[in-house]
Amino acid sequence: MRVFKAIWGLLFRLFPCPTPVGLRRLGSPGPTSPVLVTCNFYTTVRRLVRSLRGVDAWLLVADSKGVNVWCAAGGEELSTHSVVSAVKTSGVAEMVEHRTMILPPLSAPGVSARNVRKETGWKVRWGPVRMDDIPRYLAEGFERREPEKRATYDWRERLDTALGSLFPFYLLGAVGFWILGAHLLLSYLAMGALCFLLFFLLCPWLPGSRGLTKVMWLDGALGLALAATWVFPAPWAESIRAELVIAMVVLLIYGGELGGLASTMPSDLDPLMARLGVGAVGNVAWAGTVRTELLNGLRTLSIDRDQCVGCRCCAEVCPRGVWEMGEDRRAVMARREDCTACRACLVQCGSGAITAEPSAPE
Amino acid sequence: MGPKDQPKGHLEARKERILFSYIFMKLLEGRPRSYDRTMDKVSRGRVLEIKRSVAGKIPEGARVLEIGCGTGELASMVLTRASQVEGFDVSPKMVEAARRRIQEESLSGRFRVSLMGVDGMDGLAEASFDAVVSTLVLSELSPDERRFALGEAHRVLEPGGLVVIADEVRPRTAGRRALHAVTRAPMLALTYLVSSGQTHPIPDLAGEVRDAGFSVTGEERSHGDAFALVTGQKRAEVG
Repeated sequence: MRVFKAIWGLLFRLFPCPTPVGLRRLGSPGPTSPVLVTCNFYTTVRRLVRSLRGVDAWLLVADSKGVNVWCAAGGEELSTHSVVSAVKTSGVAEMVEHRTMILPPLSAPGVSARNVRKETGWKVRWGPVRMDDIPRYLAEGFERREPEKRATYDWRERLDTALGSLFPFYLLGAVGFWILGAHLLLSYLAMGALCFLLFFLLCPWLPGSRGLTKVMWLDGALGLALAATWVFPAPWAESIRAELVIAMVVLLIYGGELGGLASTMPSDLDPLMARLGVGAVGNVAWAGTVRTELLNGLRTLSIDRDQCVGCRCCAEVCPRGVWEMGEDRRAVMARREDCTACRACLVQCGSGAITAEPSAPE
Repeated sequence: MGPKDQPKGHLEARKERILFSYIFMKLLEGRPRSYDRTMDKVSRGRVLEIKRSVAGKIPEGARVLEIGCGTGELASMVLTRASQVEGFDVSPKMVEAARRRIQEESLSGRFRVSLMGVDGMDGLAEASFDAVVSTLVLSELSPDERRFALGEAHRVLEPGGLVVIADEVRPRTAGRRALHAVTRAPMLALTYLVSSGQTHPIPDLAGEVRDAGFSVTGEERSHGDAFALVTGQKRAEVG
């Protein structure tokens, strides 16, 4: 079962893969050991335990419905309530003398540090974004270096998304072979692997700042290949064409949602769907959400500097470094163009200075 | 005779193996308007039947706490005997639906609803209820949350107070467990794909009720041994 879950969590990471919630021991923790909080996505917990080998700490796994921290915080599966519930029901308060928990900063769009404190009395510290930095952070007195506050999309994360996107694509393909015939199986497998690995690994160097722009280059190349099937007649030209078209469409969807897959880019797909009038699928809605309206320009993120109390909350949680503290010790929006509309600053700002007001009509 | 005509208060073990529908809860929770109706339809009246038997165990005039009140369907049944029900639910849509029910059925003053999870039960006053009820909620919680909820249920009850829990449990024999797993699998898969929600059959519900300090006064199994209605009582203070 563990092997199955490890493989499932890796190849089908776009789907939830839950692990039991509750308090776990890392090493041999005592009453003064730090308390780290995370989601209950199997792969996250497995990797966290591995990253923290040699560290004595308490790991409080909160219910995120088996979804990773960042997605769950955005989708409200990992919420203030899940953290409060984990703190109160796990009995962690009886195991430690202090009342400070370390939360992953990518949980900031879902978990309000202020409300966790109000409801449990526990203080929240934001840890490093990447789990590999946690041992250093713990050893050096809970001080984060600047880069540790920012989300990246490094090659390991991109390989993760590539694999996680490739295998559902293969599953989809299985349906296609009913129609196309099994003789194309090998070429389909190869093309899928090539497209996804190329796209995700080359992603930072593909021109364009959004997933949709980046994927156009790859779709363009496939389009040329499609045109070539008419110029150079090949056996099974019909089927190869069908396959190319499928690959182009699927890549377009994944490329469009690259912002939803990487924590460094805004989603293209959700605002597009909202604009097309497809506002929800099942219980998952995007039309009318603050995030989508920010992305569609229906709302604008702004700060009333008179109300800012200089708590630094926004600058601490923004995975993109959009907020900086000005010389008057109040927040300024230094890099608006980097904002991915994750809402972390909106959720954490306790003074009401940061708002997402409806945009004024032009 | 349909389930609706049956006398209340009895869950008989049935031989039919119809997929039990509480897994659907997750799918329907976002749509409280059709929730009860659909639940009732897909379960062929079974959910209603369970709620009726839970309600039948409540003493006249009791003050009742309901853990996870949903749309308030059970509360409304309980109120035919109880004097008041205090309910809470973690889903804002469910709380909204329950408040609508209070309006429609003129239950205001007798049925109060708040938006919270079981972790909020520590805010309830000690020894302030005569009964605590819950149907199809504990199986959605983690073992820690269940322990906490049952412990709090014990705390908020008067000595001699009742706890009545109906939920999905793990069948006791290997054969039944296998059968349950097989019949449940398609529904689980569907629920997983559509809503990523899940329920966990409780390994030993009666044991957990006992561990919370109650004396277990009854356990009725049904639906291929995969469902239990457990009743417990808070011991009266000695001396």
